[in-house]
Amino acid sequence: MSVVADRVIGDGLVLLALLAWWMLARGLPEFILPGPVGVVRRLIELFMMPEFLGHAFTSAWRVLVSIAAALLIGGGLAFLSHGVPWLEAVVDERIKPVLNSFPSIGWAILAAIWFEPGDFGVIFVEVAILIPFCLINIAEGLRNIDRELMEMGQSFTRRRLRILWRLTLPLLVPYGLSATRIAYGIAWKIALVAELLGAPTGLGYLMLRAQTAADSTTFLATCFAIVLMFVAGERLVIVPLERRFAHR
Amino acid sequence: MVDTAIALTHSSRPRDLFARRLAAHLFTLLFLAAWQAASLVAPSYLLPSPVQVAWRLWSFVTSWRDLGHLTASLYHVAAAIVISFVIGSLLALIPYYVPPLRFAIERRIGPFLNSFSAIGWTLLSIMWFGVSPLTVIFAISAVLVPFALVNMLAGLTNLDAEILEMAESFTRQRWRMFALVIVPSLYPFIFATLRIMFGVAWKVTLTAELFGGNSGLGYMINLSRQEFDTATIFAAIILIIAFVHSMDQYILAPLQASVSRHYAY
Repeated sequence: MSVVADRVIGDGLVLLALLAWWMLARGLPEFILPGPVGVVRRLIELFMMPEFLGHAFTSAWRVLVSIAAALLIGGGLAFLSHGVPWLEAVVDERIKPVLNSFPSIGWAILAAIWFEPGDFGVIFVEVAILIPFCLINIAEGLRNIDRELMEMGQSFTRRRLRILWRLTLPLLVPYGLSATRIAYGIAWKIALVAELLGAPTGLGYLMLRAQTAADSTTFLATCFAIVLMFVAGERLVIVPLERRFAHR
Repeated sequence: MVDTAIALTHSSRPRDLFARRLAAHLFTLLFLAAWQAASLVAPSYLLPSPVQVAWRLWSFVTSWRDLGHLTASLYHVAAAIVISFVIGSLLALIPYYVPPLRFAIERRIGPFLNSFSAIGWTLLSIMWFGVSPLTVIFAISAVLVPFALVNMLAGLTNLDAEILEMAESFTRQRWRMFALVIVPSLYPFIFATLRIMFGVAWKVTLTAELFGGNSGLGYMINLSRQEFDTATIFAAIILIIAFVHSMDQYILAPLQASVSRHYAY
């Protein structure tokens, strides 16, 4: 009963916010704050437009490729620092701090200077932004590996590859998943900046174009489209993955 | 990774420690050498040499105008952290004191704020406030609020019920209990939250300044980009890396460690 009541209150608040937005927008010119009705209508129009769907698909594809690449590179660095003792300081005291405090717009500008506008530049920037998050999470996983389990594994086999495949990687899955989740959030929220400077395609580019044209309705609709895609990806891919693998 | 146990026992030996330091310094030297070599081939607007960047860095820290931009960035970050921390904590306290609103905060407001993109906030605030410090501070705060909210919510759900019960047996004054019991037991979370927010703030600040600011390092980077003055861009990036890392490593981390030690459950 009280769950239902909480739901009603929650959704009531959302309605109230929409109402307040509507009232506020009535008194303001459209380029400052368009009304919710106009934005929702534009949102529906956008999702029917092949051009917009193309941009959205491009952005989503870049985000996925970047997350995969960042997991591979970040994980590789974590393994290097863990497995090769004398490289530990190189990774932990040189590579990690620099990547971790490198401003994201710095990468975007450098990529804009170095590369032709296009997929490669954007993916480069997104990967560079995401690597530290993956590195930190996977390194944490490696640090927390149960040493007794490893010893047990060594008593069964001497083949390192077999231990890696059967023991280390499965034990790392929860950390890999949390790295994926964080990278996914950062990619949509922050790494999209890559598309503002380095590409004539993608949702970031669309947003900038709408903003320069003072087309606030399209701009806000694009923002909400990103929110919808973000939530859809999280519900449809990340949560099921976590449910499947988290409790091993 | 198979040799974890062996690696760990070895690590305490001073000779090994020395080797690791050496490896790290060698890596730095190697990196600088590679950079220098690459800069000999590439034109300087693509890749300035390390010496050029070092000179620019020196002129940066001796120029009042450049330092002014750094101060402006610091001010933006500090103001945004304070504002978003207050808003995020207040939002997190609501479900604690008014349980029926838990669903609204945790399932509606939180996820919405959490999935709205940083660029969206930046461009939106430019439309609303024009190019000004207010735009920058608003954009950074909007990005930071969900981080504060999520972390403080986690802190509040982890409050020790027994300690609260004990406190209730001592006083009935809610304010007294809030100030003397709840806030102190939240200290570890508060510091962890501030540390995360500090890191994220610097990632977003330059973006906000580049598009919507008329001061700050992001603005400076934008000007140098238009003039193909790549050395300045590198100098600004290096300065930020040095500042953020040393702040995190030498001030925030020890502070957090000492606070956590005091108030650990």
